[in-house]
Amino acid sequence: MASDTNNIYKPLQATLEEVIEESPLIKTFVLIPDEEFVFKTGQFIELAVDGVGEAPFTPSSSPLVSDRLEVTVMKTGYVTGIMHELKPGAHMGIRGPYGRGYPVSEFRGKEVLILGGGCGLAPIRSLLFALEHMKDDLEKVILCYGSKTPADCIYKPLFSRLNSIDKFEAYRTVDVTDDDWDGPVGVATALLDQVKVKIENSVAVVCGPPIMMKFGTIRLLEMGYRDDQIYLSMEKNMSCGLGKCGHCMMGEFFVCKDGPVFTYREIKHNPEIWK
Amino acid sequence: MKVETNDLKQIRFFEKYTDEQLRTIAGISSIREFKVKEIIFEQYDELSEVFVLLSGSLSLGISLPKDKRIHLGTITEGQLFSWSAVFQPYISTAWVMAITPARVIAIDAKKLNAEIEMDCDFGFKTMSKIAQTISQRLSDTRFQLMNQLSL
Repeated sequence: MASDTNNIYKPLQATLEEVIEESPLIKTFVLIPDEEFVFKTGQFIELAVDGVGEAPFTPSSSPLVSDRLEVTVMKTGYVTGIMHELKPGAHMGIRGPYGRGYPVSEFRGKEVLILGGGCGLAPIRSLLFALEHMKDDLEKVILCYGSKTPADCIYKPLFSRLNSIDKFEAYRTVDVTDDDWDGPVGVATALLDQVKVKIENSVAVVCGPPIMMKFGTIRLLEMGYRDDQIYLSMEKNMSCGLGKCGHCMMGEFFVCKDGPVFTYREIKHNPEIWK
Repeated sequence: MKVETNDLKQIRFFEKYTDEQLRTIAGISSIREFKVKEIIFEQYDELSEVFVLLSGSLSLGISLPKDKRIHLGTITEGQLFSWSAVFQPYISTAWVMAITPARVIAIDAKKLNAEIEMDCDFGFKTMSKIAQTISQRLSDTRFQLMNQLSL
């Protein structure tokens, strides 16, 4: 039997410091790991509740911070339901980081157009922190984000903060409006009509629900992006994180090991990518 | 208010037109201004003008029984709307309302159709642009539909 230190399934313990309610169904968990935890933006972790189970999430915090980890969780099932009941002081487990994140060093000298929807803003937030850190080496960063309703928008203060940073632009839209909302209405992809990008010197990042990723990718291709300029964060049913169990298989790829970030060129031949 | 060719050159929608074609459009257009919450046209109105938004932003939606309005999208600067004015039966498929003070270019649709018939290059550019607008709306609508059905 392997010793504890070699046990790849043994999670790193962390203490829940704060729970931030982002929207009716989404909370951000601020965790203090018992040891330094280093990850690359776009990589994912398995977050566990002892005796309950674990689920995969991409951290939403800065990859430059190793003593504090933020994970944004949408309540969708049993494990995430239990997570939503946790209070500060609770203990959680972290396995990972796993997979291939965003190749941010390849973004140097370029304009980065990011299209996000719903809870897909969580990995994007982490990416934005990384891009902010290297903004002197970037031409421009544009975020286009859509949520179903104004109440469903997560990280609301993020947008004004981004718009105050040199070279950053952030746009928001909602599918369904309410009386207090005076911003754009419509799907996230409609925001792409407003942005000015030099496509030949640009990369696009898409993260969100599968429907949004499909329509977003189609729109980016129509705009003139090549398939190798589009990065997709494929959030599949990752389980072991090690390319062993096969839960996350997408064609020849283990999303947990070969992804979760892929260029559209790498995976476009696979009919299952939008499922 | 009269439209100048230079006004048109600033707008993305007109970027592929020649100077002569822009003069033609300017000659059959006028600038209109709308206040906040002013309705530009209602759903099922008969339309005689095609509009391109110069500044401000507009809401586009459909009406439901009991005077309920559903906002479906936002029209931003440089976008065309009221494309139904170019095609029979010239009836609008949605309403459009100003959500900020807005300036629009209003193009006489009958005269535009006459130019489209006379000048093939002008006609192709204009119809391509209109088709792009309609295609984009259709794509957005499919996206919204799939969202609503949670597919």
